[in-house]
Amino acid sequence: MHGLGTIFCHEMKKIGKEKSLLLGFILLPVISLLMTVGVSLLQPKGGEEAEAQAYRMFFAGVGIERINIGSVDGKDVWIEPVEEDVETFLKSDAFHEYDVLVDYSDIQNVHIYYYENNGISAYLKLSAESFVRESYSSVFAGRLPEGSQIRTTALTDLKEKENANRIIAMLLPYMLILPLTANIANFASDTVAGDKARGTFYQVMLSPVAPISLILGKIFSVCAISLLSSTLYIGLDVLGSVLCEKFGVRDVFGFSGVSVSSRQILLIVLYAVLLCYFFSNLGVLISLFCKDMNQAQIAQLPVTLLCTVSALLAMFRFGISPKSHYLIPIYNLCLIFQDLLNGRARLENMIMVAVCLFVLAVAVMVVTLLSYRSERVRT
Amino acid sequence: MITVSHLKKTFRRNKVEAVKDVSMEIRDGQIFALLGPNGAGKTTTMRMLSTLLLPTSGSICYDDVPLSEDTEAIRRRIAFLTNEIRLDGQFTPDELAEYYGRLYEMTPEKIAENKTKLFDYFGIAEFRNRRYETFSTGMKQKTSIAICLLHDPDTIIFDEPTNGLDILTQNLIEEYMLKLKEEGKCIILSTHILDLARRLSDRVGVIVDGKSVYVGEMAELASSQGVTTMEEAFLKLYKENHEEKAIVGKHKE
Repeated sequence: MHGLGTIFCHEMKKIGKEKSLLLGFILLPVISLLMTVGVSLLQPKGGEEAEAQAYRMFFAGVGIERINIGSVDGKDVWIEPVEEDVETFLKSDAFHEYDVLVDYSDIQNVHIYYYENNGISAYLKLSAESFVRESYSSVFAGRLPEGSQIRTTALTDLKEKENANRIIAMLLPYMLILPLTANIANFASDTVAGDKARGTFYQVMLSPVAPISLILGKIFSVCAISLLSSTLYIGLDVLGSVLCEKFGVRDVFGFSGVSVSSRQILLIVLYAVLLCYFFSNLGVLISLFCKDMNQAQIAQLPVTLLCTVSALLAMFRFGISPKSHYLIPIYNLCLIFQDLLNGRARLENMIMVAVCLFVLAVAVMVVTLLSYRSERVRT
Repeated sequence: MITVSHLKKTFRRNKVEAVKDVSMEIRDGQIFALLGPNGAGKTTTMRMLSTLLLPTSGSICYDDVPLSEDTEAIRRRIAFLTNEIRLDGQFTPDELAEYYGRLYEMTPEKIAENKTKLFDYFGIAEFRNRRYETFSTGMKQKTSIAICLLHDPDTIIFDEPTNGLDILTQNLIEEYMLKLKEEGKCIILSTHILDLARRLSDRVGVIVDGKSVYVGEMAELASSQGVTTMEEAFLKLYKENHEEKAIVGKHKE
């Protein structure tokens, strides 16, 4: 594998020095950021902020009077009694995303409902807990058997989390696949076809570097730079979402309500790396047969289009997909991305998709290596 | 020494028989000129000699070692310089030397030593930190030669090395080729400039329509054909061996 590292580093440096490639590397994510923030700012204001004149802690299942207990961020904090059923109240418009609902129906197991991702409601939840404990002896002590203690169980409102994740799950394949294919088509076109057009490819072919080192060096560099660019792309999207939240604008892509575990993120990243490796192989293979960057970019269009269609199809699927769908390349990856975010991913499907993608990537790599020796590439 | 025997190359894609039968012997410490009209098969022969293309049949041996046996080892010993070869424009000569030196598994000390020697000779030293793309045609060609020769090859294949260059750069490259010859290197020079071949080469091979029609001493080329000048000998060889494909096509119509 002599020369692999040298070629990898050289390719990375080359991309770093190429202004047009760098522009694509930075421009796409920045446009995406501006779009997220811009579209979010342009959307009609829901007036939720205006409506929230006060933060409220609702208490259900206990005869408590409406009471003001101070203020947070210049807004009054009110304790309000709730007479209706907890589940119905949670779904009603009366329950605001900053509010906390304390359910005393079972006074030994007090449930607290709040939006986990909301800093204010998390703070109010602590206040509620403290309020419950402080008033425990005076309000409830007489009703409980001697020696019994109140237990509070904090619950996150799953309704909001599920909704937010569903939107992201729907968009993620598109958001991941689009920048990846666009970036790979761009970088792969330059790495071989661009080299051929500039006349720099022959010099490397004449060196004693083994074909596998040369091809892998180029594939890995395309893979790495595309991953970096896509990370920047998604990272800036998330930043846009954070900015929206900071300025009190509800983010159209709904990142703010998303709750994903580190395991989910890790798995998504792993599949994204596999996807990137596969696309890089394909990009380099296509590029190998083209004479210049333009030809290579045009030749890569059907692949980009196919991936976009797969992502769109996955976006509008309903219900659980049959097992056979997990064998359709690219489309199966879109399904897995969605399943991972929706918490519906099954191990067998995950393995099937990973193996399918890896086998395909290796097959493309073998074809690339064989093609490297062909006359068409060398003349 | 390179021994080429009954070399043949047919491109599978378009079924073109670019090289039909080329045989020659290229000795160390000599400059071997490969002459032929455009489309005769010189470049294809050079590409096969440089390992870029595989022959359809026939053999190429470097010091009795067949090229197909250990291509990577032979690549370490050769350099191929054509007009088509360029270097990455975003890099400086220093960076390029570092990169290609590493590809040839040279030590940093050896890279630095050879780089200094070649850069000084070709007058690149003062531009070593400037991007290759900012150079003039001549400077680019000199840098390409310096980088190609960095690994100190035994065999150097030049394909039209002085095309499009000014007289000063041409002269510098010619002098360097003679210097390499004195060092005992084996040099192959493909050109259609007969005067350049006459001035530099010791032996000559003439290719017409993919066949080697003359291989011998440069000094004997004219006399072997019963003429007085090299140009006359070349034209005679061409006329005797060229297949008039266009005329055949006309008759068929």
